[in-house]
Amino acid sequence: MNEKLTDEAYARAALTYLAEPADRWLAQLIRVSSAAGALDAIKGYRAPVSGPPRTKAGMAMMAAMERWRTRLSELPTPEDVLSFRESGIRLITPEDPEWPGQLADLGEDQPYALWLRGSADLRFNCLRSVAVVGSRAATAYGAYVAAEFGASVAARGVAVVSGGAFGVDAAAHRGALGADGVTIAVLACGVDVPYPAAHAELFDAIAAQGVLVSEWPPGRHVSRLRFLVRNRVIAALAPGTVVVEAAARSGALNTARHARDLNRRLMAVPGPITSDLSAGCHQIVREWQGTLVTSAAEVIEYLSPVSATPMAEAGAGQTTETTHTEQTAKADKPSARRLALSVLPRDQLDLDSARVLDALPRRGGMGTVRLAQRAGLAPATTATLLGQLATGGFVERCDDGWRLRRT
Amino acid sequence: MALARTYSVALVGVRGHLIEVEADIASGLPAVILVGLPDTALREARDRIRAAIVNSGETWPNSKITVGLSPATLPKRGSGFDLAIAVAILAAAEALPVDAPAGKMFLAELGLDGRLRPVPGVLPAVMAAEAGVDTVIVAAQNVEEAALVPGVQVIGASSLLEVIVWLRGGPPPSPSLDPEPSPGPVPAPAKSKKLDLSEVLGQAEARLAVEICAAGGHNLSLLGPPGAGKTMLAERLPTILPALDVAAALEVTSIHSVAGYLAPGTGLVTVPPFCAPHHTASMAAIVGGGSSVIRPGAASLAHNGILFLDEAPEFHRDVLDALRQPLESGEVVIARASMQAVFPARFTLVLAANPCPCAKTAGPGKTGCSCSPAARRRYLARVSGPLLDRVDVKVRLQPVSRSDMLYDRKFAEPSAVVAQRVVAARERCAARFAGTQWRMNAEVPGPVLRRSYPPKATALQSLDRAMELGQVSARGADKIVRVAWSLADLAGADQPGPDQVNLAIGLWLGVPN
Repeated sequence: MNEKLTDEAYARAALTYLAEPADRWLAQLIRVSSAAGALDAIKGYRAPVSGPPRTKAGMAMMAAMERWRTRLSELPTPEDVLSFRESGIRLITPEDPEWPGQLADLGEDQPYALWLRGSADLRFNCLRSVAVVGSRAATAYGAYVAAEFGASVAARGVAVVSGGAFGVDAAAHRGALGADGVTIAVLACGVDVPYPAAHAELFDAIAAQGVLVSEWPPGRHVSRLRFLVRNRVIAALAPGTVVVEAAARSGALNTARHARDLNRRLMAVPGPITSDLSAGCHQIVREWQGTLVTSAAEVIEYLSPVSATPMAEAGAGQTTETTHTEQTAKADKPSARRLALSVLPRDQLDLDSARVLDALPRRGGMGTVRLAQRAGLAPATTATLLGQLATGGFVERCDDGWRLRRT
Repeated sequence: MALARTYSVALVGVRGHLIEVEADIASGLPAVILVGLPDTALREARDRIRAAIVNSGETWPNSKITVGLSPATLPKRGSGFDLAIAVAILAAAEALPVDAPAGKMFLAELGLDGRLRPVPGVLPAVMAAEAGVDTVIVAAQNVEEAALVPGVQVIGASSLLEVIVWLRGGPPPSPSLDPEPSPGPVPAPAKSKKLDLSEVLGQAEARLAVEICAAGGHNLSLLGPPGAGKTMLAERLPTILPALDVAAALEVTSIHSVAGYLAPGTGLVTVPPFCAPHHTASMAAIVGGGSSVIRPGAASLAHNGILFLDEAPEFHRDVLDALRQPLESGEVVIARASMQAVFPARFTLVLAANPCPCAKTAGPGKTGCSCSPAARRRYLARVSGPLLDRVDVKVRLQPVSRSDMLYDRKFAEPSAVVAQRVVAARERCAARFAGTQWRMNAEVPGPVLRRSYPPKATALQSLDRAMELGQVSARGADKIVRVAWSLADLAGADQPGPDQVNLAIGLWLGVPN
């Protein structure tokens, strides 16, 4: 963001003060006459260019403008908007490089602008991210799963996107923070408003390591409806959404519905069929063709496009030259689940590792020294290679030493 | 008739406390009154001293003699005060110059004929003397041990008479004439046969594990059938450990001295001790204790060395669990109603176990073992989880065939070669931990290891993978990183690389947990 505020950016900031997000009328107005034009029109300097005033639509537009005008007293000056930067709050609009392009999928519901607080880059981190949502009144199971998933995906360089509520939201954030990962909280109030108040510290921690996002200007408080409106942003920001625990009628399910409608990858964590809090998750799997996930690895696997980085390499968070060859080798194989277990395809093993693997008997186990003997390698080298092969899922320990892993 | 003062030492654990010995001779009915919490052996000193003084040709003062040992509240035990009391009485009787014994410390038992006999615990006792005493007089057999303490003049004597002559201004005693042979327990026999790590053929992995333990101070667990070489390996661990430095050697020598295991003329113990108690050992034998005399146990005797528990599951469970505290804090605190003794006990624990109570699981086909899996599990579960938590390296040994041994022959290195690597690794490690409280990788707690000494992310790739596959738990990961650091130290690398991490994983996966 540069020091100066363009008219358009200021107008968008101002519109977040005047209108509630996802107002179709305002979206139309902006589309037709740009944000600056819309703001001028609302201020009453000139009539909106769109639509003949006599039609039904024209009447509705006029009513909408009247609605927005009631808030004109709250309108900030451009200086006010700029001064938020001193408290670490920045504004991004679709013209900004940090604007996440995937929000365009929302069509007319796209946010006019976003207020951000935090160090992380929103667009960059949302490219590799997953939304983890669920019930506020999560059970111990739900909180555990959310934290575990949050930590595991964050550790592999995938950002967590969630709300700011108790339960699953907070657990997912805390998990990601614990793994030193990036986490993104989309709030239904101003980014400087700690709601719930008990999460003030959590939000500060997120701002330090990730980013807080809101469509509402600083200082705005929550309302019941705003949570539902906010959910579409969560679903749109992340390429995939995991629902950890959700009741049959819940905000999380609302997010999931948005994710489905936006063609995002929808995942659900199963729970006991007797638990009301898992009913929503099961509904996602049964009726909405959501994917059932039981581990963070499965989440990542499902999120990655066929040609993208396989899970093991993603774990290191960096690509080396070898991983590229492995990627191409992997992309050809159809069975993703199987590949997830044997991370290095057998063909890609270096010569010594392959020798050790060949030295293993078809059935039963064998001690390290005897394997070294059969492979013609030093025992210490063999032990190292066996450790490597074990982490690749090729071999495992048994009473007699090492044996081939059953596939 | 006057008052005379001198010094001796009371031991609590391995700490010596300077004791002022006062003798007062006053008019009254002839009697000897000993005050200051003496135990039986010390109370009997009256009779020994009287006989020794008379048999040395001196006159026994026929008056009321009061001997005070202060601080009076500290319990005192043993016969080491004999000489100090005798000298104080003689000085009080003006048979010696009254000031002659002042500022000197006397530490020996008296024979009835006036000979000086050695006492255990001379080294820690003399260490206490540094406080305010410049000369220490001990029995001739204890001279060598007492002389280990720098800055104190040590005089050895063989009889009370020699001491009397010297205190009267005569020549100092010359102890080398005919020293009394040392009584007391037979000291631990020095290993006559020379052990070498290269003799353990066919167990390359286990040899490596032993090397890692020596380098990083890790505790070791060896699980394998009889005859696989568990005991051989453990016995050879001391041969690759670096010699003790002076401070450590003094600690070790003190403990062995207190226990009475120091052979006369041994001097400083510089070889790391190896202590292998039998599995029927009692709690007191392992951690130390005793009702009247608090003696160090095997855990303290293994201080700065190896404590080897062969057949670990056969030990009493409470005895094994009692080791948790010394493993945590590096010392044993034994509390009694009257006192509390602290013995250092920072040892490397080596556990060995058969995989099964019948010990017949050896060989292909596992002939002869009829134990149910539950019985085997129960057997191994007798070594409690918290204890195993302190063990970083666990090796599963396989029975060795002839061809294994032949093949391994060219890879087996002699102890001297391995020891050099271990010394270099320890130096590397010490340089890294300079300025911290830790000396070895095994001592660094997991959170600190993760925060302050994290290996590079590239090195940890395979560990991440193993954790994803569920092969390694978070607790296991800490241990793998710790062992990888020791491997890096051994390899002379600044940081554990992928090879070290892979090897550490390979070793760790040998553990059925």
